[in-house]
Amino acid sequence: MRRPLRWSIALAAGLLVLAALIGLPFWWVVSGAFKAPQEIIARVPTFFPQSFTLEHFEKLLSASDYLTYLVNSVFVSVLSALVTLVLAIPASYAFFRLTFRGRETLYRIILLAYAFPSIVVLIPLFATFARLGLVDTRLALVLVNVAFALPFAIWMLRSFFASIPREIEEAARLDGGAPLTVLLRIMIPLTAPGIAAVAIFAFVTSWTEYVFASVMILSDAKRTIPVGFSGIIGQYQVDWGLLLAGASLAILPVVLLFALIGRWFVTGLTEGAVK
Amino acid sequence: MNRPLIAFAFVAPALVFLAATLAWPLVSAFLLSLQNVRSVGTTGTWVGLENYQYILANAAFWRSTGLSFGWVIANAALQTLLALLAALILHQKFPGVRVARTWIILTWIVPTVVVVMIWRWLFSTSGGMINPILLQLGIIDRPVGFFATPESAFATLVFINSWRWFPFIALMMLAGMSRIPSDLYEAARIDGAGAFKRFTRITWPLLAPTLTVLLIVGTLLSFNVFDVIWLMTQGGPAGGTRTLPVLIYETAFRSYRMSEAATIAVLATALLMSFAVLATRYLARSGDER
Repeated sequence: MRRPLRWSIALAAGLLVLAALIGLPFWWVVSGAFKAPQEIIARVPTFFPQSFTLEHFEKLLSASDYLTYLVNSVFVSVLSALVTLVLAIPASYAFFRLTFRGRETLYRIILLAYAFPSIVVLIPLFATFARLGLVDTRLALVLVNVAFALPFAIWMLRSFFASIPREIEEAARLDGGAPLTVLLRIMIPLTAPGIAAVAIFAFVTSWTEYVFASVMILSDAKRTIPVGFSGIIGQYQVDWGLLLAGASLAILPVVLLFALIGRWFVTGLTEGAVK
Repeated sequence: MNRPLIAFAFVAPALVFLAATLAWPLVSAFLLSLQNVRSVGTTGTWVGLENYQYILANAAFWRSTGLSFGWVIANAALQTLLALLAALILHQKFPGVRVARTWIILTWIVPTVVVVMIWRWLFSTSGGMINPILLQLGIIDRPVGFFATPESAFATLVFINSWRWFPFIALMMLAGMSRIPSDLYEAARIDGAGAFKRFTRITWPLLAPTLTVLLIVGTLLSFNVFDVIWLMTQGGPAGGTRTLPVLIYETAFRSYRMSEAATIAVLATALLMSFAVLATRYLARSGDER
C-alpha cells in the first residue's frame, strides 16, 4: 500500500542520517588510508581523496608484524567459532528438543553467565592457565572466546530448533534413528542458517576480543589484531596514515565474511528470535 | 535406550566447559578475595573479610561504582533510543532494506581497538572531522578537546560505546516489531488512525516487553564494557572514566593487588547479579514470555 509523500521523505531523511552515522566514519578511515600524509592532516578535511598512495600500507606491513597479528586473529577466531558450534549444537538441541530432569534450571544457570562481569574471571583464569602452561598460547584465547560466546550461541540456536516441525523429527525417530543420527542427518541440515549465524557471532566475538588477549599473550608473535594493533597505535601515535591503513586492514576480513554470509546472521538475530 | 541419559550426554560437554571456564574461576575469585595475594602466582594468607572492609571504606571504589551507574544509565538510554529510531526505520518496506539491515551491524563487527582509533582520529584536533564540522556549523568557535575534561571524556565515551552497540540492539528490537501482527495496523488504518497514533497505540505498548528485555540486556552489556574505555582514556582524565571494570583491571594488572581486585570483582558481581535477578522477577511478574 502507498505511503503518504511526507512519510516517504521522513523515511528517506532518517535513512540518510542512519547511513551517515554508520557509514561516514568508515568512509573517512578507509579513504584516509589512501591519502597522502599532508592531505590527511589538512586543516579543511577532504571528503573525496585528492591524492592516492599505498605508502601507508607498505610502511605498515614492512615496519610492523601486522600480517602476523592478522594470521593469529583469523586462526583464533575460526577455531573459536568451530569449537563453539561443536559444543552449542548438541547442547541447544537437547535443551529445546529433548526432555530431561533439571533442564530448565540448567538453562537458566547458563543464561546467568551473562549477568556477571567478564573481567571477574580474568584474574583466576590467568592463574589457572599459568599453572597449566597455557599462558602465552593461542589455545588460551580460543578457550576464553568459546566461554563467552557459548551461552548466547545456545540461546540463539533455540529459535532455529523450535522452528522445525516436530513431525519431521518424530518420523526420523520412528525409522529407528538414534538422537545423534537425528541431530546429524535431520536437524543440522535444517538449521544451517542458524548455525551460520552462531558461527558468525562466535567469530566476531573472538575477532574483537581485547582484554584477555592483552593479558594472556606475552610474546609479540602470538598477538591478535586488537592487541597488536593497539601496540602499533602506541608506537606510531600521530602517524595517522599508517594507523588508518591498519584500521582498514582490520575491517576487511569481517566485511568479507559479512558480504558472504552476513544476512544469515541478521536473520538469526531477527527472524529467528521471533519464535 | 535411555533417552534422558543421551540428552544429558548432549548437554554435558557445554556444561563442563562453562563450569571450568566461568563457574570455577568465579569461585576462585571469591576465594582469592579472602586472602592477601598480590601478584599472580604468589601465595597469600587467609585474611577473612579484611579486603571487604578495606574496599568498602575506600573512596576510589565508591567513585567507580557511581561512575559505573552513570555509565550504565547513560548508555542504556542512548543506545536504546538510537536503536529504537533505527529499528523503526528498518521496519519499513523500501528498496534495499535487506542490505541496510545487514550492514547496519558494521559498527559491531570491527575490533573495538579500531572503533577507538576511528573516533580518536575523528575527534582529534589535528585532521579530525568533528571539530571542522562543528566549527563550520558555528556550534563552537574554537577546536574542542573532547577528552580533556572528565565530564566531556565520559560523555564522548558514552557516545562511542552506544554507537558501537545500538545496531545490535536495533536488530533484536526489529525481531520484537515483526512479532506485532500486521492486521492490527491494517485495522487501525481503516479506522483512520494516523502514523503517530499507530505508533503510540500499537507499536509502543506491544513493543514494551521487548524494550524492557533489551534495556536489561543493554545494562548488563554496558556494565561489562572495558576495552573501549581502557583503550581510549585508560580511566582518565583524573579518574573521570574509571568505571568498576577499569578499576578491577588497574588494581590487578597495574598495581598487582590480585586479592583487592578480586574483592571489587566479587562486589561488582553481587551488584550485577542482584540487578539481573530483580529484573527477571519484575519481567516474570508483568506476565511476559520467559
